[in-house]
Amino acid sequence: MEFAYLAAGLGAGIVAIGAALGIGMIGRAATESIARQPEASGDIRGAMILTAAFIEGVALFGAIICIILALK
Amino acid sequence: MIQTLRRLFLTLLFLSVSTPNLFASAEDEAAKESPIDIMGTVADHDYLKTPFGKIYLPRIFYWENEAGETSLDAFSNSKAAIASGSFEDVDGIVTPVAGSIIVDFSITSHLVFFWLSLGAVFIFTMFARGRYLKGVGRESEPKGAVQNLFEIFFVFIRDEVAKPNIDDRKHAKYVPYLFTVFMVIAFMNIFGLLPWAATATADITVTAVLAVCTFVITQFSGTKDHWGHVFWFPGVPLGVKFLMIPVELIGLFTKPFALAIRLFANMMSGKIMIIAILGLIFIFNDMYGTVAAYGVSIFSVVLTAVLYILKLFVSLLQAYIFTLLSAVFIGMAAESHEHDEEHYHAEHTA
Repeated sequence: MEFAYLAAGLGAGIVAIGAALGIGMIGRAATESIARQPEASGDIRGAMILTAAFIEGVALFGAIICIILALK
Repeated sequence: MIQTLRRLFLTLLFLSVSTPNLFASAEDEAAKESPIDIMGTVADHDYLKTPFGKIYLPRIFYWENEAGETSLDAFSNSKAAIASGSFEDVDGIVTPVAGSIIVDFSITSHLVFFWLSLGAVFIFTMFARGRYLKGVGRESEPKGAVQNLFEIFFVFIRDEVAKPNIDDRKHAKYVPYLFTVFMVIAFMNIFGLLPWAATATADITVTAVLAVCTFVITQFSGTKDHWGHVFWFPGVPLGVKFLMIPVELIGLFTKPFALAIRLFANMMSGKIMIIAILGLIFIFNDMYGTVAAYGVSIFSVVLTAVLYILKLFVSLLQAYIFTLLSAVFIGMAAESHEHDEEHYHAEHTA
């Protein structure tokens, strides 16, 4: 029985859940902060995009592992 | 209600692991070739793709033949290498008939795009340098689109990336490197968006080279404090000091490793997504006929256009993140803090 493809698919799905949760939390904190202090919205937007890119980087580490699994 | 859900869940779980057995005969059909070749398109090639065909690139081998003599041979392309008699084509890889390759210095498409990006940044900077030497940007305002663009990026790197993160007295030394890294990565990522072009940063070796450059510069700018922190962490009990040595050493190497993988994974995933979504048209054509393919193509092309916008944004963002993290690591290594606080702690806890 070949479980590598199943593992790759499940892994990619779980990675996506993790990334979506993390970025969703950033989005919530960012919008709340902008609502509290609209003057700082430029800084907050910059920090939000930066942090989202870091989390996406971690999610893509997992995606690369899944690709390696699916190809071997 | 919960009982039903529980039974449904268990049934699905059982089916998901047992279906390969039930449909074993279908496995032979599933092993057919798919009409698109994702990994083949993203991988490195020894040819450049142009609208008019392929341009084969030179192959340079440092190899030893069966007699044990090593030599450095250059061929104008793979066919010439095979025609010379000492090499043959084994599964698409050019290997020596007798002997082995020690180092393969061949020019590949990713290397050509790396050089192209370096050349573009060089020309861009030299043009701006010429203008500044004539005093155009210093005594009067910068003139023209290219010089203004250069000034935007350079001032951005100097004021937003280098100055806040690196020690005030030393930051000017590192601005050239940070600017170069930012522009090179941005150019490579954007060249990859053009049709028939290969994304050089979608190759782990290219991003590893950039990360190694950052690593070397970080270590060379390390002060005594930095090495002291790595090998003998101050301010903690003695047993923890010994524990911190391997932890800090590993941390020293994971940071550039993470830099390389972050850039590589972002770029490669963008490329794979585009190929997969456009390839859906060909897969539908294969499985369901031409009408379904036409139907899917409307959806695919629109989604591809949206993804291209996202990829453009991600290209610049990843270049910025690589540069920002390089600046942070250099800043962490080059900083020298005052020791008064740590001596205070040591004296008062003793």
